[in-house]
Amino acid sequence: MMKRKWLFWFGLAVLLTVVISACSNEEVKEDVVKEENVVVDVDPTRYLDPISILSRPQSAAPDEYETAILIRDALIELGAETEVQTMPWEQLADIVWYERDQWQMTGWQMAARPERLDPDEFTYNLFHSQGMVDGYNFMGYNNPEYDALAEAQRVEVNQDVRADLIKQAQQLIADDAVYHFTVHPDINIVYNKDVFDEGTITDMTGMGARNFWTYVNAEPSGDQTDIILNSADNVQAVNPFYISGSTDSWITELIWDRVMRMNDKGLPEAWAAESVKWVDDTTVSVVLRDGMTFHDGNPVTAEDVKFSFEAPKTGEVPMYQPFVEYIEEIEVLNDLELVFHLSQPWAAFETASLAKLNIVPKHIWEPILTDLQDSPENAESFQEDVPVGSGPYKFDALRFQEEVVLEANEEHFNAPKFDRWIVRIIPNMEAALGMIQNGEINFLATYTGDAELLNTRVEEAGNLEMVTSVDLGFRFFAVNQRLEPFNNLAFRKALQAVIDKQLITQIVWKGFATPADSVIAPTLEFWKNEGIETPTGGIAEARNILSEAGFAWDEDGKLLKPE
Amino acid sequence: MNWMYLLRRIGQMILTLWVVATILFFIFRLMPGNPLAAYIDPTFTAEQQQELMRQFGLDKPLWEQYFIYMANLLQGELGQSFFYKDSVTSIMMNVLPNTIYLMVFSFVIAYVLGILFGVLFAWYRGSKFETIGLIATLITRSAPQFWVGMVLLAIFSFHFGWLPSGGVSAAGSQYNSEWDKLTSLEFYKFLSLPAFTLIFYLIGLPLLLMRSNMLDVLGDTYVEMAKMRGLSKYRIMFKYGARNAALPVLTAMAVGIGYTIGGNVIIETVFSWPGIGRLLVNAVTASDYPLAQGAFLVIAAFMIFMNFVADLLYGLLDPKISAGGGK
Repeated sequence: MMKRKWLFWFGLAVLLTVVISACSNEEVKEDVVKEENVVVDVDPTRYLDPISILSRPQSAAPDEYETAILIRDALIELGAETEVQTMPWEQLADIVWYERDQWQMTGWQMAARPERLDPDEFTYNLFHSQGMVDGYNFMGYNNPEYDALAEAQRVEVNQDVRADLIKQAQQLIADDAVYHFTVHPDINIVYNKDVFDEGTITDMTGMGARNFWTYVNAEPSGDQTDIILNSADNVQAVNPFYISGSTDSWITELIWDRVMRMNDKGLPEAWAAESVKWVDDTTVSVVLRDGMTFHDGNPVTAEDVKFSFEAPKTGEVPMYQPFVEYIEEIEVLNDLELVFHLSQPWAAFETASLAKLNIVPKHIWEPILTDLQDSPENAESFQEDVPVGSGPYKFDALRFQEEVVLEANEEHFNAPKFDRWIVRIIPNMEAALGMIQNGEINFLATYTGDAELLNTRVEEAGNLEMVTSVDLGFRFFAVNQRLEPFNNLAFRKALQAVIDKQLITQIVWKGFATPADSVIAPTLEFWKNEGIETPTGGIAEARNILSEAGFAWDEDGKLLKPE
Repeated sequence: MNWMYLLRRIGQMILTLWVVATILFFIFRLMPGNPLAAYIDPTFTAEQQQELMRQFGLDKPLWEQYFIYMANLLQGELGQSFFYKDSVTSIMMNVLPNTIYLMVFSFVIAYVLGILFGVLFAWYRGSKFETIGLIATLITRSAPQFWVGMVLLAIFSFHFGWLPSGGVSAAGSQYNSEWDKLTSLEFYKFLSLPAFTLIFYLIGLPLLLMRSNMLDVLGDTYVEMAKMRGLSKYRIMFKYGARNAALPVLTAMAVGIGYTIGGNVIIETVFSWPGIGRLLVNAVTASDYPLAQGAFLVIAAFMIFMNFVADLLYGLLDPKISAGGGK
């Protein structure tokens, strides 16, 4: 009996719905506008589908989650039904990257790396339409005007002209509201003054005090001659041909030399080279320093450098392939001199290639790569027992999930002032904070906890010093331009208007961040477009933008799509 | 001991392991997330993605992957980690000893102390000593391990600076061999805080179990007889009482060891202890299928084996329980 009754009511409800919707379709050809874009008798197809914002959970990424909540509230105030959906990063990345039409909006971040001091990677790889299908342009941004700019800056060797192109590209990203930038977080690095001489710590632009220059140039202020720092992540590999985790990159930077290095101002300068000269737009001549040796005693020669830059072309070093893409030929003139011939002008060659590739000993790696030709594996899965480079530190020991120990290479042309560099793997952030206080570590290289707490602890302790810098990397929310409502520029602009970066900086980041409006950090003055204009007027401006574009609201304040 | 029974139990063990291995294989592949997520980067190209899929063997159909995995497993081959690009066996061998040291050390102390206090609590039933002791035991048993760990760290490491706070050795120093490690005082300094945290948790079970068994035993006539014969208190307590009451505690210990090997994730993280629990968590989050499968399989094998040991122990220690289904 109950079942039949239920069926009756359900049937009636369906019938009524059909009748009502049929009526409204017939009668309301045009929405009746009462006042200021408020519509009565709404065509049901005009309602937006609920918006879902993807974020990592609060426990894993409190800043991202809290920002997502603020954005959600702003969208709800605007009349768009919105929810925040949390999931672990691996799952989130899987959806955003591999199911490109299955998400609407997501939190994301770009991290600081030395080669990113050149704007090419962010300008080209993130937004060029080439990356829409399977590259980093997962938002589906497609603007031929932008593509042209991104391509032009890549081949423009005159850096002043190039800077102008980079600035135009930044404005276009803002105009098209491709990314919704939030902040450049502060990098807070703490060191022990009883161990480090204060004046000898290098604060590198966009990278903070944790960098190559600090590790090689810092001087001890007392008897402790070991730099002991922390990392939360396990070391994956110590391999010059494998770009693995960030901790791994701190290590490879120190063991292997490079032809050039990014200096503390963020510009490439000759390192293992005595000089790097552009003969013309596609020819670069390099002279190596005399007297350099690998840690096994063999000399570093032009042949080793040639080998290092040609290895990615064998297919056994896939991750470095993009960084040698435009190298056509390398000509060795003698033991110390060589010439790079490029297939086209390449503005970022120094940063993305000469300052990126590790110089490996040919006598060690040539036989390994030859063997690998016949095996399904490549150079990434080869771990040397004792990695050999020519860099300022030598490999001493890797204790899995525990620590990596490097020893100073006293033969090096820029020999470190400390005897050892030791990175301890400490997954517990609170413990790391305790350790910098009690001296178990003397350099807090990574800290993802509460910055305010860190600051207080440093102030309480007399022997600690905190170096705060603006991160080259940034946080943002990406929207999927393949899907409604984000395929509508007006909606994206309205979203720009309601994201209150000052509020996010103060509330979410407690002031330990700088509002972001571009992929270029404000500290990179040469490249940064200082005059980027985006709507910031909050809800009122957002409503104006939407109204002008034909959006409207129903009587309950729900946002309606343009007709 | 019945040999047929033994053979049947071994057969069951192998079957269970096969089921576990199969479930593990599918569960990780059905789990959301993708092993390639770890490589997503602006310079990550489509060719690289395909190359990685091929390298990881993920380009083959699922059933084919399963048979390859099973065939390898039969040869004792656990495969190569996606994340570390190294053999799963060698990665696990780096950290398994540390987990075992922490576990065995904590177990021995927890069970010795647990049994001892269990006996005393039963003997002094109703006294203030027992009441306070019992409450304290319940508190340590139910306190979250990460909290106990952090409190111990805050007191002994960060406040007094008596004990190191993480790892198994001082920065940059190393033991020449596993033996050298086990015989050096340094190692025990590093071991003590994680071990205390684990002991706090573990001690509850043997203590409470021993206490209740002991209460049963103490009511028996032979104990009354012993008292009447005027035997010393400690002789009755340990020789007459504890020996008979300890039986279930021993089997609980065998099963407990099996369970604890995989359950140290929290302690290993709090104290940066390089063990298999941390390895496992990292492997799961990175969707490193071979490593996660390998680590889980080793833990499962250990648990299944310790259950088997518990069964045998029961048969050996208590003749009343006959092996082979009580015929």
